[in-house]
Amino acid sequence: MSDRSSGALGSVRVLDLTDDHGAYAGRLLGMLGADVVRLEGQETGAAPLIPPIHLSELGPRSLFDEFVHAGKRSARIDLTTDMGADILRRLVGEADVLLDDGRGRAPGGWTDVNPRLVHVTITPFGHGNSPDWEPVDDLIVLGAGGLLHLGGYQDTGPMAPFGRQSHIAAGIFGAVAALAGLIEREQTGVGNAADVSAQESIAQALEDSLPAYALTGKIREPQGDEAREAGTGIYACADGYVSMVAGRLGTARAWTALVEWMNEYESTARVLLEPRWGQFSFRQSTEASETFRRIFETFAAAKSKTELYVDAQRRGIALSPVSEVDDLLANEQLRARSFFHQFDHPLLGAGVIVPGPPFRLSGTPPQTTGPAALPGSDTADVLRELGLTEEEIHSLVETELV
Amino acid sequence: MSAPLAGQRILDFCWIGAGALVTKAAAELGAEVIRIESRSHPDNLRLTPPFRPGTDGLEASGYFASRNPDKKSFALNMTHPEARRIALELAAKANIVTSNFRPGVMERWGLSYDDVRAVNPEVAYLVMPMQGSDGPHRSYIGFGATIAALGGLVSLSGEPGRIPIGTGTHYPDHVPNPGHALVGLLASIYHRQRSGRGQLVELSQLESTVNAIGPALLATSTGNRDQLQPSGNRAPGVVPRGVYRTADEAWVVIACSSDQQWESLAARLVDDGFEFDFPTGTAAQRDSRRDEIEESVARWVSKFDRAEMLGILGREAVPSGPVNTSADLLVDPRLNARGFWQIVQHPVIGEMPMFSLPFIRLPEGRPTLTRPPLLGEHTWDVASELLGMDRERYDELVAAEILY
Repeated sequence: MSDRSSGALGSVRVLDLTDDHGAYAGRLLGMLGADVVRLEGQETGAAPLIPPIHLSELGPRSLFDEFVHAGKRSARIDLTTDMGADILRRLVGEADVLLDDGRGRAPGGWTDVNPRLVHVTITPFGHGNSPDWEPVDDLIVLGAGGLLHLGGYQDTGPMAPFGRQSHIAAGIFGAVAALAGLIEREQTGVGNAADVSAQESIAQALEDSLPAYALTGKIREPQGDEAREAGTGIYACADGYVSMVAGRLGTARAWTALVEWMNEYESTARVLLEPRWGQFSFRQSTEASETFRRIFETFAAAKSKTELYVDAQRRGIALSPVSEVDDLLANEQLRARSFFHQFDHPLLGAGVIVPGPPFRLSGTPPQTTGPAALPGSDTADVLRELGLTEEEIHSLVETELV
Repeated sequence: MSAPLAGQRILDFCWIGAGALVTKAAAELGAEVIRIESRSHPDNLRLTPPFRPGTDGLEASGYFASRNPDKKSFALNMTHPEARRIALELAAKANIVTSNFRPGVMERWGLSYDDVRAVNPEVAYLVMPMQGSDGPHRSYIGFGATIAALGGLVSLSGEPGRIPIGTGTHYPDHVPNPGHALVGLLASIYHRQRSGRGQLVELSQLESTVNAIGPALLATSTGNRDQLQPSGNRAPGVVPRGVYRTADEAWVVIACSSDQQWESLAARLVDDGFEFDFPTGTAAQRDSRRDEIEESVARWVSKFDRAEMLGILGREAVPSGPVNTSADLLVDPRLNARGFWQIVQHPVIGEMPMFSLPFIRLPEGRPTLTRPPLLGEHTWDVASELLGMDRERYDELVAAEILY
């Protein structure tokens, strides 16, 4: 484990009782130097493991869990017993931040135990809005938050993106709420609380659809895989796809540069030099989108996505490869910045690749965290830090409370 | 009423997407955000639809408005050397300086971290270059859509064998990138409270986006690449899991994780006359008949209107919910009960709903959002109060198109 004390949150203790919806918050705080202890063993709904799933010698492991819990310690304590509840009280008493899933005390409900606590509750729909069933699947939150309706193909209906983005979003805003709480506590000297909704976290991502409805009454429908305009969209090339924005959001220069570039290699691109192609309104027509796609994909058929990327960027055109995960590992820029980290994991094996921190802080560099602790592997240490004697810890283990 | 960032002044050079959302959040947390913008080179978002029919111009964009409530606008034409001197003077009086340009722009203006630090040692200075401030691709250009593609989110999302589709939006601009930037910036502010030291916070939009698909990276090095094929709405162990069209042409989500949930749903299908040999028992058994199950559910759902369907599913305790459109979201009972939308009055746009941060802070509750600024609306206030400028000098600078 790296030295946490040099991180921006080097002295901060975080107790993590989140479920899938908020688990990423603790990872972010951990990378900033906080000591994050995940408490296992509370009652949770039997949510199926989130893929990708690794079959280890001790059974299946969710790689989502391994990612969001990386760098956290783990204690296993049976909170349904009096002794467990007492240990929880003592842990909360010592913590700066409690992240939880709303199953315990309400946000702000721990002031009798710890008046300086920053208490952040992360739930699908906000505290007190739990449905009668569980678990609340990512797909349900994406639907409720409005992002789902903007995705998918025309013939399939709404479709979720990869990676349980409602959990990532709620985790990010859980961390934002925790940091806002710590900053306020520095000024007031007393604790505070926040009630984070995953639905609202996803509803940050509605783009122009809300103002569009409010101002024009038009409901934005999913764009599907049809280009919104000639020059903006996803196009096939020799070894995959590229994504390009050379239209209205881009610059007039980008469109001109794109037409010049295509004309250097592809005779059918001559048609793009006709005056009507200079008009944005025409480029938005279905005819223009379809014609452009045909010409561009002919032009790109013998070029790799990397080749197109480098050439386009040299010409000032916002084009990127549609990277597959292996392309990311080979990405020259990410390699030059030593972005990826590796750790050894007792069940996943050696050299497990994990993304580096999403931010850099010049004075307090984020930590390269190790793997997620195996459930319960830090229980004895955590109890020792609370001041329990070796004898007490031993007897707790004997009675299977921990 | 206290607010975490009360007393923090942000000199904000962010424009367009991701950056504007960082300072929107900071404003909501109590910071005074002073946008630097100019008619000489307006924020693209000010020219971007939607517009209320009959309105146009730099003040009319609903898109711009949605990302800029609670901020002040200071008109400053940065192409002019005098404007850069004024900007540095403002930076000296700010606690935080934010920008999301390509590397080199703030440097060219004499406003690099080192320049600002020389006049303001404790400054927290946020930059959000697309691919970071160094490295061979540091000057490459892109937008939310190309960043989502470059960062791997697009290729992983869609159906096998089809053009990958991503989220259908510029998603990294809206959540991962402004969100991660906020986390980094707030951590630096907390650290400054305790140590007195400022620092440079850098958010590489690419690296931030790759974190949003973190589990996929773990899959490559653990022999689980085969699970990275796009799989639409399907997921192991949850059957059915998908979206289903209702009779009134809306969509509902159904996702049954437990055997009991599936059995409740299946019993209801049988009651409604669906002849079907329903698999019971484990998820794996349902998984092997997923197509058949999902087709039956789709046929069943298509017979009901959405409200009726959600009522039935709710009574049977089957995990489900609406696929909310923008119209649905504005009347969503949970969002409204929590005060997520706030209506502001704008002199050009009129009435407009603004979205809040996704949490309620206690004991304060949600802060009241104020309308987004007109371009240059606060130039005189800020120039006179912060820079001590007199009216004569101000008028000169306006006439010279420097405060412009």
